[in-house]
Amino acid sequence: MQDAKDILINYIKDNQEKLYRIAFSYSKNEEASLDIVQEAITKSLKNIKQLKEEKYVKTWFYRILINECLQYIKKNKRIITCELQEIENAIEWKDGITSDEIDIYKDIQKLENKYKTIIILRFYEDLKIEEIAKITKLNISTVKARLYKGLEILKKFIENNE
Amino acid sequence: MKNIKKAKNVYNSIKVPKELDYVVNRAITSENRKRNYSILHFKYAISTIACLFLCFVVMINLNPSFAASVEEIPIIGNIAKVFTVLEFKNEDDTKLIEAKIPALENTGNTELEKRINYEIMLKINEILKETEERAKEYKEAVIATGGKEEDYKPINIQIGYDLGYSSDKIVSFEIHKSETLASSYTEYYYYNIDIETGKKLNLRDLLGENFKKIVDDSIYSQIEERSKNPENSYFKKEDGGFNGIENEYQDFYINKDGKIVIVFEKYEIAPGYMGKQEFIIDKKIV
Repeated sequence: MQDAKDILINYIKDNQEKLYRIAFSYSKNEEASLDIVQEAITKSLKNIKQLKEEKYVKTWFYRILINECLQYIKKNKRIITCELQEIENAIEWKDGITSDEIDIYKDIQKLENKYKTIIILRFYEDLKIEEIAKITKLNISTVKARLYKGLEILKKFIENNE
Repeated sequence: MKNIKKAKNVYNSIKVPKELDYVVNRAITSENRKRNYSILHFKYAISTIACLFLCFVVMINLNPSFAASVEEIPIIGNIAKVFTVLEFKNEDDTKLIEAKIPALENTGNTELEKRINYEIMLKINEILKETEERAKEYKEAVIATGGKEEDYKPINIQIGYDLGYSSDKIVSFEIHKSETLASSYTEYYYYNIDIETGKKLNLRDLLGENFKKIVDDSIYSQIEERSKNPENSYFKKEDGGFNGIENEYQDFYINKDGKIVIVFEKYEIAPGYMGKQEFIIDKKIV
């Protein structure tokens, strides 16, 4: 594990935009997201010894990042009131984004954190159920149950939009 | 599930601030050097950026040639309220898109501007997406039915806008999209906005409770008048012709004289050769 640190640093640098977007999904605020990413990096480097195997760098780091996000939310409960307007402002307009897609994205933001985490990791970060289980320290069947439950709630939100 | 995947588009278009690079690098190096990270440095960096930006703004104001070119941005009417925010051309083997996209500015109501400009952007993105898909499908259909690649003519799309009316209280404009394949077809989207309240105005707001009678009477008599010309042949009531407006949300805009113009799209109340039909309602708006 001599170069575990280098592996981690490379991983962070290569994925910094992804990491920022995860943080933004929770905080919905630019400055807060930067703080979260920053905290997560500092913590991960400090605790690099906990990283047992290099191949787990991704799940290990996600874990730290998501914990940071959840902590931020706990501390700032009063400030975050589903800032949907902030989401709209944060979107960079490109060809092909439709209002339906934006509505769905907003619906995902409305989910309880335990569902949101799993849906974001599964669909937007394309992680496997096993990886999500590692990140959230849940067993596989709980992850599956939450995923389906989350999708069910989401479906109801989407139907309400129509 | 498919829908959720689709929203990935949105997720991936969340803007990443320029400072991210700085924050990440700083976190890595400071932790590597075992130094305590100080948020002050970051704040300082941000304020430096803000300062640079300020200088830039001041320069714009001091540079007469730049100021002159800013003034050349189409100012329609007395107050610059609707202007071209983006102009682009997008061409490939299936389509040619030329677009001039408007935005609302200088209303003194920034929340309203944000909302309306967002709405406009959404509308245009939707139009573009739809067109792209249709163009692709159409090309595939041409080839599937034995047509040659070179037989296919790209669909031509033009998006533009026109300002109807603008005062310090109301702004009215239209966005239009023309699509030309074999024949051409234009769609219109109207925006009539109360600048103070941000409300989208409808006919009831402008003409009062009696709006339907005012509009219907005026249109009936104008149709009668125009029908005296044998070249005009409006559909009869029973064949789907004009039969009174349905509600206050009927399409309209406000013209330069501040009068309401009711609009019916091509084919809506008259045969296609007569085109889009407009009726000026000669009554002062509320």
